[in-house]
Amino acid sequence: MVALMLAESALEIIERLSTAALVVLFLTAISPVAAGQQQFSKTFPVSSDQNALEVINQQGSIKVTAAAANSGKVVINARHSDGNPRVDATQTPDGKIKVEVSGRGLTDFEISVPTSTQLDLLTYKGMISVANLNAPVRARTTTEGDIKFANLHSQRVEGHSTSGNVFFDGEVLPGGEYKFKSFSGKLDLVLSTDADFRLSATSSGGVIDLGGFPLKFDRQTNQLIEAACRTGKAKVSLWTQEGNIHLHRKP
Amino acid sequence: MECRAVISLLSDYLDDQEVWLSESDVRDITTHLGKCSKCWNVKQELDEIRVAARELPLHTPSRAVWTRISNIVEVEVPTSKRPTRVEAPDLNRWAWIKSHKFTFNLPQLAGAAAVALALLVFGVINHSNPAENRFDPAGATTAFVLPDEDQIKAELTRRLDAINARKSKWDPQMREEFERHLKMIEDSLQHSRVLLDSNPADKVQQEMVLSLYQEKRQLLDDVERLKW
Repeated sequence: MVALMLAESALEIIERLSTAALVVLFLTAISPVAAGQQQFSKTFPVSSDQNALEVINQQGSIKVTAAAANSGKVVINARHSDGNPRVDATQTPDGKIKVEVSGRGLTDFEISVPTSTQLDLLTYKGMISVANLNAPVRARTTTEGDIKFANLHSQRVEGHSTSGNVFFDGEVLPGGEYKFKSFSGKLDLVLSTDADFRLSATSSGGVIDLGGFPLKFDRQTNQLIEAACRTGKAKVSLWTQEGNIHLHRKP
Repeated sequence: MECRAVISLLSDYLDDQEVWLSESDVRDITTHLGKCSKCWNVKQELDEIRVAARELPLHTPSRAVWTRISNIVEVEVPTSKRPTRVEAPDLNRWAWIKSHKFTFNLPQLAGAAAVALALLVFGVINHSNPAENRFDPAGATTAFVLPDEDQIKAELTRRLDAINARKSKWDPQMREEFERHLKMIEDSLQHSRVLLDSNPADKVQQEMVLSLYQEKRQLLDDVERLKW
């Protein structure tokens, strides 16, 4: 009798273990690791009023979204494949976070930050996008890769690519500085119809489309335009060697 | 415009350029002289000869001498082949020369011979070494230097040398992309530099050249920041 009970218990344990093993196997099968990808994830607590993030990527995209003003944390998710890249993420005592990729391979970042996070982003090759931020931002793609700024309310924005395009949709604030450059890509800016800025736009080999903004010209040649829109409170500098420049009025 | 063409038009350029040359010719020659030291030297020599010749005393040959020359010319050219005003109503160069009475003294003739000799020597040198007749953008870059340009170039060269020394360890794909983008910028820089040399006072072009140096510097900054 006792032997029978022991046998039944053993069978029950085996059954449960099999179910657990099947669940583990299923989860493993659908995870990115099984598809040859690796995940990196890290969260840093930050003060909500002033913080900074620097990301240096070798190859791959960087997508930063300001989720909420008072989230109090920076959440970094990275997915890497190809080669053997390594992600190091550290935070200094004063709160500044530095994320750096070393080794060869593709790494794509998705990062969530408070709106007040100051950004300094670099990727050798890959796209950069930044959305909903209120703090200064600098983004650079060394070779290829577009840079997209959406819904920004920052005092200082800088986007620079060698052959990628740069797109900006946001506010130009009084006293702010907005600098966008691309050697061979195009520059597109979407500004509100009542934007107040001083413009310097240079395109050596492309066209400059001023989008119908009411400009007073200080200097105008085939390649360079310096003008003021309204009183010129913000400073907008655009430079491309071979690409086109387009200003658009926000509908 | 090539050196040969400039030399052949130099005399007209120095004398009555508004009579013999179009505005575009004058502009092209002026541009060329601004960047070609050889043609500039020939122009300077011609100028010196002209100034020296102008200071020589003028000796007008007697009317009898001119009449004898005129008679000899008329004998050598048959009447039927002589152009008339009706046949050649437009005042071309030859007609203009024929319609004028020139007086030359010996020093002036010597000066003209010296000019002819200088042109001949220049032509022979260029013919024997046609490679030198080509426009040399590298040489042209020395013609006009922007403020701090030498320092900028030295700094970029030094940094690029350091990068090149360790480039062999890079990922081959990354290396190829770096070299391609660097070449793209350097080609543009060289082109802009040539344009600037043709018009050194062009402020926009000056800014373009400086922007391209900045673009090159940024590429090097990135690679250094990536710690390759």
